[in-house]
Amino acid sequence: MRAALERLGSFARRTAFALWLIGVLAAAGITSRTNYVADLSAFLPRAPSAEQAVLLDQLRSGIAARLVLIGIEGGTPEARRSASLEFARRLRASGAFDDVHNGDNSQFEATGRFLFDHRYLLSPAVDAQRFGVEGLRTAIEETTSLLGTPAGAMIKPVILRDPTGETVRMAEAMLPAQAPRSDAGVWVSRHASRAVLIATTRADGGDLDAQERALRLLRSSFAPFEAQGLRLIVSGSGSFAVASRAQIKAEVERLAIAGGVAIVALLLLAFGGSLRTLVTALLPVATGVLAGIAAVSLVFGNVHGVTLGFGTTLIGEAVDYAIYYLIQARSAPGTERGAGARHWIDASWPTVRLGLWTSVCGFAALLFSGFPGLAQLGVFSIAGLVAAALTTRWVFTRLAPDGAPGMGLRRHLGAAVGWCTAVLPRLRWPLVALTLLAVFTLAWLPTPWRGDLGALSPVGAAKMALDTELRADLGASDAGTLVAVSAADEAGALMQAEAVGARLDQLVDAGQLAGYESPARILPSPATQQRRRAALPDRDSLRTRLAEATRDGPLPAARLDGFIDDVQAARAQPLLTRAALRGTPLAGALDALLVPGSAERPWRALLSLQAGARPIDAAQLRKALADVPGARVVAIKPELDALYARYLREAGVQALLGALAVCVLLALHLRSWRRLRRIAQPVAAAVLIVLAVLSASGVALGILHLVGLLLTVAIGSNYALFFDQIRDQQEHRLPGSPVTIDNDTLASLALANLTAVISFGLLAMSSIPALFAIGQVVAPGILLSLLLSAAFIAPRRG
Amino acid sequence: MAGGVALTAAALGGLRSAWAQPGFDLEQLMRALAQVRAGEATFTEKRTVAMLERTLESSGRLSFEAPDTFVRETLKPRRERVAVVGNTMTMSLGQRSRTMPLDSVPEAAVIMEAIRGTLTGNRDAIERHFSATVSGTAQRWLLELVPREPRLREQVISVRVAGQQALVREVTVALADGDRSVMSIEPATAAPRGASNPANPANPASAPSAPS
Repeated sequence: MRAALERLGSFARRTAFALWLIGVLAAAGITSRTNYVADLSAFLPRAPSAEQAVLLDQLRSGIAARLVLIGIEGGTPEARRSASLEFARRLRASGAFDDVHNGDNSQFEATGRFLFDHRYLLSPAVDAQRFGVEGLRTAIEETTSLLGTPAGAMIKPVILRDPTGETVRMAEAMLPAQAPRSDAGVWVSRHASRAVLIATTRADGGDLDAQERALRLLRSSFAPFEAQGLRLIVSGSGSFAVASRAQIKAEVERLAIAGGVAIVALLLLAFGGSLRTLVTALLPVATGVLAGIAAVSLVFGNVHGVTLGFGTTLIGEAVDYAIYYLIQARSAPGTERGAGARHWIDASWPTVRLGLWTSVCGFAALLFSGFPGLAQLGVFSIAGLVAAALTTRWVFTRLAPDGAPGMGLRRHLGAAVGWCTAVLPRLRWPLVALTLLAVFTLAWLPTPWRGDLGALSPVGAAKMALDTELRADLGASDAGTLVAVSAADEAGALMQAEAVGARLDQLVDAGQLAGYESPARILPSPATQQRRRAALPDRDSLRTRLAEATRDGPLPAARLDGFIDDVQAARAQPLLTRAALRGTPLAGALDALLVPGSAERPWRALLSLQAGARPIDAAQLRKALADVPGARVVAIKPELDALYARYLREAGVQALLGALAVCVLLALHLRSWRRLRRIAQPVAAAVLIVLAVLSASGVALGILHLVGLLLTVAIGSNYALFFDQIRDQQEHRLPGSPVTIDNDTLASLALANLTAVISFGLLAMSSIPALFAIGQVVAPGILLSLLLSAAFIAPRRG
Repeated sequence: MAGGVALTAAALGGLRSAWAQPGFDLEQLMRALAQVRAGEATFTEKRTVAMLERTLESSGRLSFEAPDTFVRETLKPRRERVAVVGNTMTMSLGQRSRTMPLDSVPEAAVIMEAIRGTLTGNRDAIERHFSATVSGTAQRWLLELVPREPRLREQVISVRVAGQQALVREVTVALADGDRSVMSIEPATAAPRGASNPANPANPASAPSAPS
């Protein structure tokens, strides 16, 4: 019977080990096939409304995400000019770019010909009145008045076929209101010695690999000019995204290596250089990381670079379990093999398990986050911690049934913590005062929760400044305000765009708007084209009216046969559609502003607005567009900020719920208000002090600081739980037995704390704001948690 | 009072220059012109275009104000207005109005810079865009401006500005294809509004300097 039980027990242990091995192998398999991403859009909120989805979609992969802003510096103006011409020629020939603009108009021949051939469908001036006698007279006068000036050079070669100047009217409608300075036929900066270009990648803005290839091509194409002493500067959201990804990747590697080295060194020191112990100690860590990546990969389909960077901190936390076990399970000499493990399972595992549950509760709050990136952190942490704890409980008890032998640094650590537990309680009241001070500081100062999305971007201030400068040079407005309209089909969307355009024209005339871009300017709605085509008179009527309109004019009707022929041809011209523009130079420009619909979503036209001297007043704009059904004004920055602020509030509520869940869990488990208070006190005080110091030093707190606080609570509560366990054991000792103090448990706490502080401290040195924010909160937070736990829940000394 | 001021300024400035300096150069011409801070005038323009049957004629008003505002308002045959303030050019025709940066359209800028630079006596602006030659005397001078930019010279051969004292009287634009326009300028006789702080022409030191 007893043998049977032993066999069963042994089978269970072996099975646990086998299950663990299978789990690790499966996780490793999933991990090796995981797709890693690094675009920061994971930290953009999941948009709740369809309109905001469009907004985010535009930010991620719309035209703005495909723009590359380019500057050429150094050398002489002439060298920059010829480099600009040749460089642009190469980029156009490469096929990686839809458009390359550098002010060189010679490349617009094809566009010009297309526009000219379709001028009676596309020119905004064409209507029945224009082809009456008076209309013709006025139009011809206007056009001829351009002759004899340098500005008339464009119209002169075509005036006999286009005497009403439709070419001029189309050009007026399409030229941007904020064009770059043109010098010697290329665009140059107004403020710096720099030629400027703007390119649109063919690749989608969200496809970072393709963006990276396009940027590499861009740089290699510039190599010959670099040899001439010219410098290439590149900016734009694609280049930012690619650079951020590279930066995150490099940084995560650096952090993982630095964190790993530090922890390994610490463990070696702590366990007196035992390699076997080291490898054992790293098992839960490795298992946790693998489980975390695999879980995130299974749930989300990819793993974000920031999640991985954050994962390196799990090294610091998961190694705690190993440390607790290896130190606490040390059995007294001469006892039976496995006694240490049994003792640990009895005495400490409940505490570790409770700590695990509290951590899981805390991180579970992240699962409901509207930010996919944060939800990833939550899944990663929960899966990682559970895996690490299970490994410790089931695998360690078999691999190292008596903990780890070496003493190494432990004795000193134990002594140090012992000293702390002797001294810190005397500082209890000053520490309480400090906590109260923190509370008053927080109440007194304006709320520090004012971080914005921009704070999440790892792009440095210098690069942002350069971007702003290049945008000013190029008149490429940073997506500021959009008007979006939608309809069931292409024609409807274009008609809506025309309706909005008519209102915007009034604002432009009133000087409240510098201008706008509309897809309907490139491709008028079929109804509009139809109306224009119907306004064209037949040959005889036109001839008669023209004779009258040109009487006494500078341009006799006899020379305008070409005009009459073209108008007749236009009357039979098929209407232009988006499909008809395929393959023409206008297709790219149209696609940027007209988003095709599908079964799920409507066609969408976007009108992008350019502010004049004054910023755009969104409320006024909404009023002006009130009678266009479905027109939505999207002021991108305020909109995003509002979204972010809302998610920050939501995340705050989630965090509070998480904290509440932790408290409820502890209360249920401990069934003692006194112990619950005892555990909550130091952790809450640590959180308050960290918050107060951060706000007093003017840090703008955002969503990741909130995550940091959650982590602080999750990790810090573990220390409090252990101190509470010691106190509880002391209080429930057999009457009359001496008060003992478990220096080993104290040493394990100190070591665990040290490793965690090191990994979060490394995070606080990161140049990636997301990681920096977490490290900045957690490293001091958990150190304080340990010290305050020692002060507030100090074990009694004998 | 701009017209009156302009005339007085012109007369005094011109006289002073004529008496003081035997050789009249760009420096002196620009200094004299810069002393007139604002002014209004009427113009008549005759344009000869080879492909048209007859000469194009137009007329209207000009006004300028230092440092960098210039407005040309055509009244006949059609109302048309071009206003340049700093680097912003606004063109209005009937209901339509368009605004663009002057330096983004060099072929329009070349004429604007020539006339505005001369009227406001902005030597830097003139020299940045043109190689300038002055001939004649302070009493009757001729300023010949040739665009520095070779590509512009393919369109505009020269802009010749003729004047008396501190008054611009005629602007002739010769285009590369043989077309040309001649704009005759008559200072407004009626006292119009809008003169800015009048400079004391007798004391150049107290006069606001030309913008750079």
